[in-house]
Amino acid sequence: MARAGLRKALAGWAGFGILMCLLPLVVSTGTLRIFIFANFLAMFAMSWDILSGRTGYISFGHPFLIGIAGYTTAMLTYHLDVSLMLSIPAAVIAAMLAGTLFFVPALRTRGTYFALVTLAFMELLYGLTQVVQPKLTGGTRGLSGLPAVVSGAVPNYYLSFLVMFVIGISLWLIVRTRIGTALSAIRMDEDAVKSTGLNTTKLKLFAFMVSAAVAGVAGALYVHYLGSIAPRGIFEVNFLFTILVAALLGGAETIIGPIIGAYFLTFLLEFLRPYIPGTGRYFIYGLVALVLYYYAPKGLYGILAALLGRLKPDRPGT
Amino acid sequence: MGYIVVQGFLLSGLYALIAVGFTMIFSVGRVLNLAYGVYIMLGGYAYYFAAQVLGMPKTVAFLFAVLTGISFGVLTYLVLVKRLQHDPIAVEISTLILAVVMQSLVILVFSAAPKSMWPLIPGALHYEDLSITNNILLAMVVSWVVLGGLVLFVHKTHIGRAIRAVSMDRKGAIVSGIDPQRINLITWAISGALGAIAGVFLATYTQLTPDMWVAPLIIAVAVVIVGGIGSIIGSLVAAHIIGFMETITTTLITPELRGVFTMLLIITVLVAAPKGLFGKEDL
Repeated sequence: MARAGLRKALAGWAGFGILMCLLPLVVSTGTLRIFIFANFLAMFAMSWDILSGRTGYISFGHPFLIGIAGYTTAMLTYHLDVSLMLSIPAAVIAAMLAGTLFFVPALRTRGTYFALVTLAFMELLYGLTQVVQPKLTGGTRGLSGLPAVVSGAVPNYYLSFLVMFVIGISLWLIVRTRIGTALSAIRMDEDAVKSTGLNTTKLKLFAFMVSAAVAGVAGALYVHYLGSIAPRGIFEVNFLFTILVAALLGGAETIIGPIIGAYFLTFLLEFLRPYIPGTGRYFIYGLVALVLYYYAPKGLYGILAALLGRLKPDRPGT
Repeated sequence: MGYIVVQGFLLSGLYALIAVGFTMIFSVGRVLNLAYGVYIMLGGYAYYFAAQVLGMPKTVAFLFAVLTGISFGVLTYLVLVKRLQHDPIAVEISTLILAVVMQSLVILVFSAAPKSMWPLIPGALHYEDLSITNNILLAMVVSWVVLGGLVLFVHKTHIGRAIRAVSMDRKGAIVSGIDPQRINLITWAISGALGAIAGVFLATYTQLTPDMWVAPLIIAVAVVIVGGIGSIIGSLVAAHIIGFMETITTTLITPELRGVFTMLLIITVLVAAPKGLFGKEDL
């Protein structure tokens, strides 16, 4: 894209940021709390997108990275009363170390096999947190009463939104660089990228580290927002499903798409709450996701881009 | 010790049944069906509905479960997979979404509360200090009969040979006049049936819950990965490795750690020998 395009897109980001910052003036605290969840989901979905959407190494184990970060900060603050200023960075480092562990199978396996190993990682941690050292991890019930970073709906909204916004814009800028292009190329044909002399191992490692760092930040903040962590909530297939669907529905590989997807899904879920109780909502939610994925694999972002392209007939649509 | 041997063999038979239905689709269609666990869950619920809600005889209920599995397998293929099958990642993702959709549907219809199933044959066999329920014994007998029948079917019948032909060389099969779409459809139907049979026994062995598709799916994945994709012998051997490993962990250490060793095994095999023990496939 030309420089004018970049300027326009940055103006779009700024407009989005200002709009969302004004939001607490108009909406109720209840709605704001929904937005907080949407912001967290957006962070998780972007973390998935930078790794899986970009490089094509589909992760079915993102809750593993989130869980490592969440448990690290939860255990540090719960047992040792470590301050959040230390425990959250520690959680991010832990997530990145976990990310390198995640990276090992990516050296050997691709596609389907990689997705399955990541799923195995998630299930492994699910089993371990319940059995090994239940005194430390809280076992099946998990840990609760964790300290909050800030309290109240409005401060939490600003915190989650600002972090999400900063992550979003940074990732968006990263994927526009040549590294981003190279990562996309890995998805299309890894051997071809290798044959051009690029070090695909380093490139992949970069994507994994960025993804893990984002998952770490988001996971740690999420746990402190909730004030509790339990293996069932984190390592559940539904949680993985929500992250994956948010990214795919919004439009994988675009960074902006996962944000759209996360907002759309969170509000869809809230909208359905009065009609269908409990996890039954996932039926409608999944059905919508399935139909959209089937008919519009590029997601909401693709649909919006096509619509915008149609509005400006003098330019070929993107 | 005797308990471990008996229980290990019983569990392994069931695991082999679970895994073969899963690996068949992969070897024929080259796609992973992550909704496979759903056939297991639906089989269990269909049996429960027919036998314990409607009060039908057990054999009728069992047939109903198998038919449910077959229809759902066929539907998955026709509605969802057929159009996406050129893109394995898209199939994985959409079948995973489908699995969650079906889980939610079951929650809406039957509620999320676990249900206990009556054994197909009540009572137990006693031999010295060992006692084995008739139900799990039946599960093993049925598993082996079904697996044996499947091997015969695949080797002796025309359709079975066509299935093998497609899994070996799709283009060659087309050239010899085999319609791979039809073979795929048959495979999905068989897979649905195997899943449903396994589901009825798994549910009587443990409990009937809407999320009972996850664990068997992971078992199937583990068996197929350890045994090597596309190898029935490999699947049988791997099912016994995993079945015995889980039985030993459950009896000697703690039941909760059961899955942990299985996961470690998957990760180790995938990283150290991605082709598995008997696999010829290179992905």
